[in-house]
Amino acid sequence: MVVYSLYILNKAAGLIYQRDFNEGLRKLSSNDYLVLSGTFHAVHAIASRISPVPSSSGIEVLETETFRLQCFQTLTGTKFLLISEPRQQGSDAILRRIYELYADYVIKNPFYQIEMPVRCDLFDRHLGAYIKSL
Amino acid sequence: MTIYSFWIFDRHCECIYHKDFKRPMRQLRPTSALSSTDPKQRNTSGGPPKGSGPLTVDDESKLVFGVVFSLRNMVKKLSGDQESFFSFKTTKYKLHFFETQTNLRFVMVTDTRVDGVRPILEQIYAGLYVEYVVKNPLSPPEHPGGEGVNNELFTLGLDRFLRPLSIFE
Repeated sequence: MVVYSLYILNKAAGLIYQRDFNEGLRKLSSNDYLVLSGTFHAVHAIASRISPVPSSSGIEVLETETFRLQCFQTLTGTKFLLISEPRQQGSDAILRRIYELYADYVIKNPFYQIEMPVRCDLFDRHLGAYIKSL
Repeated sequence: MTIYSFWIFDRHCECIYHKDFKRPMRQLRPTSALSSTDPKQRNTSGGPPKGSGPLTVDDESKLVFGVVFSLRNMVKKLSGDQESFFSFKTTKYKLHFFETQTNLRFVMVTDTRVDGVRPILEQIYAGLYVEYVVKNPLSPPEHPGGEGVNNELFTLGLDRFLRPLSIFE
C-alpha cells in the first residue's frame, strides 16, 4: 500500500496541512501547493454544479495514470485529500481514520487555532505511525 | 448503467460537439446566463440566478471544459507533462476524459458504475472522428461552432457505436 501524500484544506480553500509520505510525485514549491488546493476547491464546487442528476457531491475520486486522489469532505467543509498509487482500494477508510486522528490531536489541542495551518507534533507522529502501519 | 452526455472540445477550448443521451434535467432555452458580460443585463434577462436551476447547454459546456482543463493542469503539475487523468467520480456521476496529441478533448459523462471508458473514447476518436470528420474533404480544419463535426455520418456513426454497448442502457 503506497500513500504518496495527504492534504488538508480548510473550508476557505486554504491549505492547512500537507505532507508527503513516499516518493513518486513531483516536488512542488509551497506556493504551487497553495495554488493546487485552491484549484481543487473550485473544481470540487463546479463538479457538483455540472451534475446531470440533482444533488451530486463534489469530486470524490480522481483517477490518473500515476496516482489516485481520494477526497473526503467533512460536514464542516474541511477537505481531506489522499493521493495514493492507482487502483488503490480502501482510501476512503484511511481518510476517515485520518479524520479521527485530526479530530483527536488537532481539534482537541487547546493551542490549535481553528482554520489555521496545523502544527501539532502529536498529530504528525500518530499520522506517520498510522500510514506506516498500512 | 447509463451514458448521460458526450462532449468534444477543440484546442481553442471551444465545444465543437455535444450530445445528450439520457438527461433527467436540462433546460432547453439556448440563451446563456454566463456569456452576457453586463451583470445588470444578466439579471434582467431572466437567466437563472447563479447556483440554482438547471444549466443551459452553453453554460454547461463552459463549466465542463473548465473542470477538465483545471484538473488536467493539476495532474500535469503533480506527475509530469505527459500525464493526464482518466476520470473523476462524484456520488452521482462519473466523468471520463481523453485527450489526443492534437489537444482534442473527448469527455463522456456516465453514471458511477461505468468503468473503462478510455478505450471507447479512443475508438470514437480513431474510428469515427478521424474517419468522418478529419477525412471529410469538405470539412474545414478547424471547427468553430461545431461546423464540420456535426455531420450526419459522424452523428449516426456515434449513435450506432454507442447504443449496442453494455454501458448504454
